[in-house]
Amino acid sequence: MTEWFDLDADEERAVAAFMDRVAHLRTPKPGLPSEHAPQLWVKGRLLEQWEGARRVQRPLEIMQRVEIAGGLLAASVLLYLSFVG
Amino acid sequence: MGRLDEAAFSALHAGTSRALRAYVYRVLGNSPDAEDIVQEAYLRMLRADVPTGSEEHLRRYLYRVTSNLIVDRWRRRKFESDEEMPETASAPPRYEDDAAVAKIFAELKPRDRALLWLAYVEGESHEEIASSLGLGRRGIKVMLFRARRRLRDLLQAKGVLVNS
Repeated sequence: MTEWFDLDADEERAVAAFMDRVAHLRTPKPGLPSEHAPQLWVKGRLLEQWEGARRVQRPLEIMQRVEIAGGLLAASVLLYLSFVG
Repeated sequence: MGRLDEAAFSALHAGTSRALRAYVYRVLGNSPDAEDIVQEAYLRMLRADVPTGSEEHLRRYLYRVTSNLIVDRWRRRKFESDEEMPETASAPPRYEDDAAVAKIFAELKPRDRALLWLAYVEGESHEEIASSLGLGRRGIKVMLFRARRRLRDLLQAKGVLVNS
């Protein structure tokens, strides 16, 4: 348990008793049904797989953009050369 | 240490979800966001691929993630910008009533509620509280003392605790 700076003993008892009451307050049922462990597990794994797939795809997406930019640049150079030449 | 498997996760969920939900609910102050935060904490833990250590280690990790989510929610609502303390002087001391207890606790600032909950309800040490809230250990002792003093003052103002 935590070591305290000092309140006096009565105050400390009152604070502890109050927190004990707080600890035992009923928590209302959620408005929406809460997800249980198996559902959370499946959701977590799906998210993990999705993020894994995104990680794998990211370099491909970047390369795709590089290819498009390169293609456009090459086309521009060729166009320029065709006019100059 | 291996990876958390489904059986271990189910056991952890069964052992922590109720307490975690109560923590979020009390600290956020009856927010309808409590359920979202609890679920998000478990999902983050699963996605982070936390290695299976002791149950205590996993529990600690869950509370840290949950506390971070609570802080994010406070920031979004600007709770951290010196939330005004409600008037406390004239309310009658109805300590026997659960609703009154909840109301008094809700009058504390969210960070004080988190500190007091972790210390008194979860029985955490200063180090564990610092870890759960992502704060420095040295500051925790002072912050916790101030939170306790503010609660004492509030109890005195409500007439629950007589001035000594």
